[in-house]
Order: sequence, then C-alpha cells, then structure tokens
Amino acid sequence: MRPSFFHHLHPPTIPAPQARWRYTLGAGGLSVYFTLVLLVTGALEMFFYIPTPEQAAPSIQTITYLVPYGWLIRNLHYWAAQGLTVAAVVHLLRVVLTGAYVPPRRFNYLLGLALLVLTLMLSFSGYVLRWDEGIRWALVAGTNLLKTIPLVGNGLYGIVVGGDEPGPATLIRFYAWHIFGLTLLLVVVGVWHLFRVRRDGGIAAPPPAHRTDPSRITRAQLVRREVLAALLASIALLALAILFPAPIAPPISPDSALTADARAPWFFLWVQRLLRWGDPFWMGIFIPLIILIVLTLLPYLFANIPPMELGRWLPPRGRRAQLVTAAIFLGLVVLTMLEWFKL
Amino acid sequence: MALTPTLTGQPEYCLTCHADLPEISPSHPVETFGCVKCHGGERLALDADLAHSTMRGGQNPSDFSVVEASCGGSDCHSGSAGQDRDHIHRVMTSVQATYAGAIAGVRYAFGAQPDQTARLGIFAIDDAQVTTSTGLTSLAAFDPATETAPPVIAFAQNCLNCHLAADPLPGADYARFTGCAACHTPTAGMDFQPNAPTIHRLTTAIPYTQCNTCHNRGNYSLRDMQFHPRTDLYGRSIERPDDRLQDYYQPIGQFTKCEWELDCVDCHTRGEAMGDGDIHSHKLEIQYVQCRTCHGTLAESPLTRTIADPNDVALRLAFLNPVLDLKVGDTIMVTEKGEALWNVRQRPGGRFEMVGKATGARYTVPLVKGSACTQKLDQQESRYCHECHAVQR
Repeated sequence: MRPSFFHHLHPPTIPAPQARWRYTLGAGGLSVYFTLVLLVTGALEMFFYIPTPEQAAPSIQTITYLVPYGWLIRNLHYWAAQGLTVAAVVHLLRVVLTGAYVPPRRFNYLLGLALLVLTLMLSFSGYVLRWDEGIRWALVAGTNLLKTIPLVGNGLYGIVVGGDEPGPATLIRFYAWHIFGLTLLLVVVGVWHLFRVRRDGGIAAPPPAHRTDPSRITRAQLVRREVLAALLASIALLALAILFPAPIAPPISPDSALTADARAPWFFLWVQRLLRWGDPFWMGIFIPLIILIVLTLLPYLFANIPPMELGRWLPPRGRRAQLVTAAIFLGLVVLTMLEWFKL
Repeated sequence: MALTPTLTGQPEYCLTCHADLPEISPSHPVETFGCVKCHGGERLALDADLAHSTMRGGQNPSDFSVVEASCGGSDCHSGSAGQDRDHIHRVMTSVQATYAGAIAGVRYAFGAQPDQTARLGIFAIDDAQVTTSTGLTSLAAFDPATETAPPVIAFAQNCLNCHLAADPLPGADYARFTGCAACHTPTAGMDFQPNAPTIHRLTTAIPYTQCNTCHNRGNYSLRDMQFHPRTDLYGRSIERPDDRLQDYYQPIGQFTKCEWELDCVDCHTRGEAMGDGDIHSHKLEIQYVQCRTCHGTLAESPLTRTIADPNDVALRLAFLNPVLDLKVGDTIMVTEKGEALWNVRQRPGGRFEMVGKATGARYTVPLVKGSACTQKLDQQESRYCHECHAVQR
C-alpha cells in the first residue's frame, strides 16, 4: 500500500491486548469520530445560522423547524458535542488510570489536556451561539467570572465580551472563536495529538520482552473495529437526535428576569454549584484552575511507572496519580449531581 | 404553512397548526396582520411550547397588562383623540377599567375618604389632558393592605370581580375575557374555560349578554360585602328571550320596552361604554344618554347630523358593523355631546329607523313630539318616562 498522510496518523499494527475495547474503551477514536461529525454538521448549520443578536435565535428556529432535516443536523451536532465531551473525559481517565501519561507520552498527554480544554470552550461557545433565553444567564454569569480575576480580569472580559455587557460584539466574537479560532486549534492540535501517538511508539504497552501476548492486529482489523465503533456511535447519535431534541428557547427578551431555573450547561454545573458556596473568584476561577494545574502536573509528579506496568489498567506504581484523578473526577461528578438534582 | 402578513413582512408559521381558526374580524384580515403582530409568540417555531412561550397575555393579547404592545401603536388603537383612535387610553381611564367609582363609593360609605371623588383605581393611572369638568388628573393604585376599615378590606377581597382587568366569576353567565376582549369578544353563555381554546372573534356588535357578564344578576350587598348571584336564574338559558325581562338588572328596577328588547350598545354610545378619555369618579359622570336622546321631547325633535365627511366616525363604525349601509348624505341621530347614534338613520318621509347593532332588527323610533305625552317640559329625564312607560312585571 502506498504510504499516505493517513498512515502517518493511523498505525499499521498495534498490540492485540491494547487494541481491546476493554482497554481503550474506544474513547480516543470516538472523540475523533464525534469531531468529524461536528465539523460536517457544523458546516451545514453555517449555511443558515445568522450571528446577530436579532437573528441568531430565529435562524436556529429556522434550522430546527423549517429547513428540511435541519432539526436532524442540529440535533446531531448537539449530541455529537455532548458525546465528544464525555468521550474526551473518558479518554483522559483511561490514559491516567492505565499510566499512559508517563514519558515518552508526557507531551502528548499535555496536548490531550489542551484538547479537553478546547472541547469545553467549543462546547460553551457553541451553547452561547443559541443566543436565546436558555443561555442568557449562563453567559452573563460565565463572562462576569472573568472580571473577578485580579489585575487582568477586566481586560480579559473586554476581550471576550467586546463591551461592558453581552451584546452584538459578544455574539460575533463567540461565533468567530467557535467557527474559526477554537475549531482551527482543535483540528491542528488534534492532528498533532494523533501524530504524536505514533511518534511516541504507538499505544502504551509493555516492552516486547514483557508481553504475555505478543500478537498484533493489522491495520485492516483496526479499521474494521473503528468502522464498527463509528457505526454504533452513529446509531446512538441518530437515536438521541431523533428522540431528544437539542434545547431551544425563545429569543432573549430585555425584560426577562433571572430565575432560579437559570442553569449552566451540564458540563459546567459543577462550577455553578461551587459558585453557590463562596467567592466567585475562588470558586469559579481558582478551583477549576487548580484542577487543571494538578492534571497538568500529573506526569511530572507521578512519573515513576515502570514500562513493564504499562498497557494495563491501574498499574500499581501509578496508585497515587489514580487516586488523585479519581478524587477529582468523583468530586466533579458529585458537584454536578448536586446541581443537576438541585439538592 | 407560511404566511407573510403585509404589515410585518416577516413569514410566520402559526397557521401550520391553526389553519382552522376563523378570522378574528373583517378589520383584522389575517393576510394583513398575521398572528404575531397581535399575539406575539415565536413565528418560526413549529413546537407548540416554544411557539407559544412568548405569546402576549396567553390566550388574550388584549389583557391590560399587554394591550399596548398587542393592540396599541399610533397606527392602531393608541392613535390621537382627535381622530377617535385613542381607544386604549379611553378604556384604561374608564370607570369599567379603574373601578374608581365603586372604590370611591365604598371608601366614602365606610369613612375611608371624606367625599365621593375618586382617588384610587385598580391600577395607578394619569391623564395628561383633562377635557371635562369632572375629569381627574390621576389615580393611585387601590391597595387593600393600606386600608383600615374592615368593610373596605372585605370589599377588596370579595368584590373586585367586575372590572376589566379582573378574571370573571365562575359560570357561563359571567364568562368573559379581560381587557378589550371582555366586551369585544362575545363569550357570554359559553362553556368558558379560562385556558382552553374558546373563541377567536372581535366585534363591535356586542350583544347585551356580554354586558350582562358584569352588569347584571345578583346583588352587591354592602351589608356583608358579598356578591349574591340571583338564585332564581339558576339553570336557565341566557339566550332565552322571554327570560330577558326577568334577567334584566335587579328586580327592583323599572325598565321600558326598548331597554329590554334592544341591546345595550344600541342606545349607549362608545363614549359611555369606553369612556371619554378622562378619569371619572362615577358612572353618572360618563353615562348620559336618556330616553329623550332618541325620542326627543314634546318641544324638540332629537338632534341629527347629515354625514358630509367620508371619514366621519359614523361611517367608520358602520363599516365595522355593517348592519346598515350608511352613506355620505345620510342623516343620523346624534347625542347632545355630538356622538353619532350611527344606527339611527332618518328614512325618506322623515321617520327614524334604528337598526339593532347586534341583531340587525329594524325599529321605527317613535318621537314624543306630536304624541299624547303629557309630561312636564322640565321633567324629561328617563326616570320620569318610566313612570308611565315601565313594563309591568
């Protein structure tokens, strides 16, 4: 077979034990697939979406109710975005809980973390593009959080919002970031991330001498599994898109008031819960930043996992990293549940 | 199913579900107005919840809380008084809306204010242009929490059902919307559920039954501060004409034949019904039509006007309710305030013909002048006419 750019990113063979679903969970591959779905459906939505405060919500209604199959495209975009967030987090957990973040894969771990942050920013900016009553207070609260950052807060707010309060400049900036800036970064860093997987020696596995099962699967077998996963994911996406429509709300009205029902998007509900408990800066900026810093430092603080322990779940020498990550993850889940069920 | 009304130029999809709705009135053709201009709502949404989420006033965009946005605007019903297009201002200042007369009367009767001049209304309202001697410049909002006299507090609790912003009492006989639709949407006698689809109609041909949703039946007892429905009417159809004399107002009243055969709007003018734009303390400051307005006196024929202007308000009113083909050159009766009784026209030969606004029935109006009436010339108010002409019952 002629080498192509695809083969730069896609391995010719991988060790059979590490190619199993129960090892990878398919999370990285699903993230790639969801991203592709998002790019295609997002490009289609761009033909009808109008990024002005007056037209944004009506144009989404147009997509949802009037454009043939517009509802399906929009719902697929929505559910693929939720799927990407979940798959990216699962992928991160898999990498940490299998110890795959240690050198030589440390840099790629950091790229992956950057991709997670980009995914969350894309999710939030896409959510804001609805520009309807459903996103209004999350936008106000989310951007106001920036102001609480010492020294640079007001400047950052100005850069993100483009004025003293959310308005036309905010919408066009979120649009530009969502469609162009963040998407470009996601694609570039994403391709880099895939490339680095191969560059770093493929999926994490014990050195050949320590492998109990030395067999490998071929590219064709791998592609077959990937296609199967993509098919299953497509069925799930279609089912979700048909059964559970993406949220939609009336256009923003100047005289509507903040209600107790105002909610952050689900992936930031944990921040909303934290904000109920204390100072906006410490709860809304500092703690999330600490979590990100801890995750960033993980491969530096807990790097002493021997190669023999790679390629399996919960390597014993990675205990402390596993505990720290599990604690963070459980904490976020609990906070999210508390807010979700309004406990 | 898309419709692009000419007034807005923006496509709306409401008719996808609501294609079977009758047009609300010939004056509001759906091709011109569409739905959203009056009702609000999400014109593009084909999901009922979202489409209805931003509707003004729920089913009734003419509720006073939203009437300015729904029915107002200088091209619509908040136009100038000079052109008789200030309907919203007139109705909002009227005693039916402010309930100022009832509030002032009860507060005066129980010592909460020193005279019967109104100070409080159902809502606070100002009038920048007072045009009558009894007009007030403003009313503050009636707030039961600041009242001390127990009867006034009981009045606030039990008796605020018959102003235009109030939800009606339960029962088909009281069924009406609020705001403009309280009168202009004929609901009386319907099995009326406040939140169920009921009726899509606006009309100036208002039958007496609609007025009766407030102005009839039962007694407003000052002794126990309660409304007592008339038990003798229970189960009887509101539409049975032979009941009407019995149904009409309180049993102690005296009424002539025309008062129980005609509809209220046949004699009472738009100025009386919707106010003259001033805030008044009592209905008697606004209600002025008497028997003699149409029938004249022994000495005088009723006042008339020959329509010369094609924009005459009488022609506009006849256009809205085409029970007669009024034209430039026709002579109609007018009141002493100059309001057109546009449904009373002089026919060839000189007789006056009244056309029932809600029924289309035609009557010849008998004149007092030249009749055998022996009433004194200085006793011409309606109550004197009732002495002889009241129907026995």
